[in-house]
Amino acid sequence: MNALNRHRALTTIWGSPQGWRGTATSVNHSDIGRRFIVAAFAFFAIGGVLAMLMRAQLATPGSAFVGPEIYNQLFTMHGSIMMFLFAIPMFEGLALYLLPKMLGSRDMAFPRLSAYGWWCYLFGGTILIVSLALGVAPDSGWFMYTPLSSKAYTPGINADVWLLGITFVEISAVAAAIEITVSILKVRAPGMRLDRMPLLAWYLLVTALMMIAAFPPLILASMLLEVERAFGWPFFDPDRGGSPLLWQHLFWLFGHPEVYIIFLPAAGVVSTVLPVMARTRILGYGWIVAALLALAFLSFGLWVHHMFTTGIPHMALGFFSAASALVAVPTALQIFAWLGTLWNGRPELKLPMLYLLGFFLIFVLGGLTGVMLAMVPFDWQAHDTYFVVAHLHYVLIGGFVFPMLAGAYYWLPHFTGRARVPKLGEAAFWLIFVGFNVTFFLMHLTGLLGMPRRIYTYPEEMGWTWLNLLSSVGSFAMAFGFALFAIDVALQIFMSRRSRRNPWGGSTLEWAMPIPASAYNFASQPHIEDRDPLATDPELGLRLARGEGYLAEARHGRRETMAVDITTGAVDHVVVLPGNTRLPIITAAVTGSFFLCLLFGFYWLALVPVAGVIALGWRWAWTLGWQEDLGRVSIRPGETALTHRETAGAPGWWGSVFLLVSDATLLGSLLFGYAFLWVVASNWPPPELIGGGIFIGLVAALSALAGTALTRRATSASKAGSTASASRAASAAMGAQAVVIAALMSVGITELPVPGSHAYAAICWTLLLYAAVHALIALLCAAFIRARVVSGHVSGTRTLEASVAQLFGDYAGAATLIVLLCVLAPAVLS
Amino acid sequence: MMFLARISAGLLLWAFGFSLLYALHGFGCEGGWHEIRIAGGMLFRWVMVSVWVLLCIAGLAVIWWIRSVPAGFERRLGFASALVGCAATVVTGAPVTITSACV
Ligand code: HEM
Ligand SMILES: [Cu+2]
Repeated sequence: MNALNRHRALTTIWGSPQGWRGTATSVNHSDIGRRFIVAAFAFFAIGGVLAMLMRAQLATPGSAFVGPEIYNQLFTMHGSIMMFLFAIPMFEGLALYLLPKMLGSRDMAFPRLSAYGWWCYLFGGTILIVSLALGVAPDSGWFMYTPLSSKAYTPGINADVWLLGITFVEISAVAAAIEITVSILKVRAPGMRLDRMPLLAWYLLVTALMMIAAFPPLILASMLLEVERAFGWPFFDPDRGGSPLLWQHLFWLFGHPEVYIIFLPAAGVVSTVLPVMARTRILGYGWIVAALLALAFLSFGLWVHHMFTTGIPHMALGFFSAASALVAVPTALQIFAWLGTLWNGRPELKLPMLYLLGFFLIFVLGGLTGVMLAMVPFDWQAHDTYFVVAHLHYVLIGGFVFPMLAGAYYWLPHFTGRARVPKLGEAAFWLIFVGFNVTFFLMHLTGLLGMPRRIYTYPEEMGWTWLNLLSSVGSFAMAFGFALFAIDVALQIFMSRRSRRNPWGGSTLEWAMPIPASAYNFASQPHIEDRDPLATDPELGLRLARGEGYLAEARHGRRETMAVDITTGAVDHVVVLPGNTRLPIITAAVTGSFFLCLLFGFYWLALVPVAGVIALGWRWAWTLGWQEDLGRVSIRPGETALTHRETAGAPGWWGSVFLLVSDATLLGSLLFGYAFLWVVASNWPPPELIGGGIFIGLVAALSALAGTALTRRATSASKAGSTASASRAASAAMGAQAVVIAALMSVGITELPVPGSHAYAAICWTLLLYAAVHALIALLCAAFIRARVVSGHVSGTRTLEASVAQLFGDYAGAATLIVLLCVLAPAVLS
Repeated sequence: MMFLARISAGLLLWAFGFSLLYALHGFGCEGGWHEIRIAGGMLFRWVMVSVWVLLCIAGLAVIWWIRSVPAGFERRLGFASALVGCAATVVTGAPVTITSACV
């Protein structure tokens, strides 16, 4: 087969249909990644317009442009949009688009999941924007502190929009995190050992792992607050044993790592672009990776520094401030690695480099004001003033927007296949850079003069007039800069001349292909021998196009890509990916209608979409797989490998593992909440504890154990090839899980006080419901396995689904036991 | 999984120890351990300091254990994170020795 024919054959397999059908069905990572990027930029523009409105209002004292109600919505929506609808999705888009290309593979591990995440993001973001247009947008600030955000002080729908809309969007973030993690660990080009991965992949891996652990606390907090608002379960209400501080703990348990989740991908871009601009290699690869790991962990031990003024005992403050000080070490190491790289190389002042210099300057200033704020006496003065607004924008715009703009100019030719129009980009840079500093540098001064944040106006006598006016002028200059950037990009897409391949002389794999990239990325996948494959072999792209790599054969209409051993990068198996389908958009729409039902208070109706999601989830899993073995398939002349359903450790198994890790952090946060309220909240111990229920509890525990054991039995029987006993064991497992659900619910109904009476009852009920939901999931998994064994999809060799079901069965059992232990402890001890 | 566990063992230990200290701190103050005097000090302080010392020793043990991992990138990374984890345990736990209890 020659290169052109191979291109045609592969495009038929990997491409998407034209028009709306393609839009609705494509699961291709380049499509989805591009969409994420474009939408995130659109949300950035919306958030920017809100910022302009705020600056217009604050430009003069006593302005009557917008009133307090609107202004509260403006800053809340500005902050929330920028954090949740711009920064995170922008990085997700970059990761989805670039990762497979940099790792030498053809797509991400779970293409349908990326598409589902995309639609959830789009629909969730739309809900938020519509609420803004209708004037009922959230208005309690982007961290939504209770009691301001609870029913008593925000009676309208505003807070519900935030809680439900953001949670909906978070689904896409967790989906992307799992997707990114598994893709990096498993779906790489053969030979790419972990220490041969491009650095950006390390940054993204660490970021994704952090997201898996950091988002569940926020999702949990949002759910609890929404339940409190909807049904009066008093998690955060101090009169009934709740605590507003619980919200703050859960929020910042997410919120501090979030800062690093935003910064690390941008830092990854810096580490990728900088060496190319400096015409050298990055200094200290291993050091950077170690620093990343340290950062990832330590950043979970800092959250209380957002709560230094809430009366937490000194010793606990000591733990957290020590950790806050420590985290500076890996950050500094990172900066020195960049400086060393610059020093070693011969930097050229091309446009991406200009943005990188802007990044250094602004980010370092933001770091300095951060150190100032970390000094407790200073923080007491500057807390909640414009000094903080200045600081956070120096860090966020300096640490995220500038590197992303550098990345945008660096990778745009890859997206468009064209070179940029000269000069326009430089003009945009200077407008943004100067405008930014005028706007935000002056805010330090306004803050030191005592101007609080989140105020909609101020009187003339305060003496803040000139500084505010200049800030506003600067912000409009910056806005022009961003507009110019958008125009520049549009010109490049539509009218510019074609770019040559690899215009910057990069050495990573995304440049080993014609640009713009084809749907399948690589006509054949490379074998990687070092960290800079293109530097050692500049002709690599041509050789791959000629089919001199892995999987050069386009066969049976299957989307195939290689999976490797995590550490060594040795060939593991071939992954056969699902093709285009409407399932993701439909499932996301049904998920969205669930959130809409809750938003409008149709709680019973919400059960319909729940059933819908279950049915769609079933179909999602059902449409894959085969009823016969594919056996070993050829991957290269003289080499063969099994396909993913016939080997252990397929991406689907790993994805389930990480999903359960994320789930376990949710349970952990819930247990933290239970212990926290018990120890810290007032009005404890509760007036009424659990009455008894040890016997039903034992029934639940034993059936949970039986359910787990039976699922394991079904798995091992199907692996041994005995269909009849596998399906019998699966049926019995279903029965056991049903008993678990019934027993858990009767513990609640007969023994616990009503959930509205006290936070104790509310949280115990939540624990029971958590266990019951997981028993239901395990039940469905057992039912699925039963059906698949009968239909012949699961067999002694095709074991993937059975091993996934076993994971969920095990988890449900463990979760039920833990929950029972915690709920029944008071009954046992008393 | 083993790979992830090895390269982050030291840091995982830190995370565990950090949570343990924070949790013990909460339960101890709630349970009034700082009002019980034992062997010339308060029970609370004894518990916190001894747990911290044990955690530091465990951190050293991880460093020791990592040496048995086959040489290469994995061991270097595991070694670095074991060192960082142990140092972080020492530093972030140090407040148990001097800060006042439960105020
Ligand atoms: C485009 C230029 C931007 C301008 C002119 C701007 C302006 C502002 C102003 C004036 C406030 C304070 C509102 C108040 O306290 O009354 C604010 C708050 C905030 N901004 Fe920006 N901003 C910009 C970009 C960004 C970006 C890129 C991010 C994040 C990636 C961001 C995140 C935030 C957050 C989190 C808040 C706090 C919201 C709250 O208090 O709840 N901003 N911004
Ligand atoms: Cu923080």
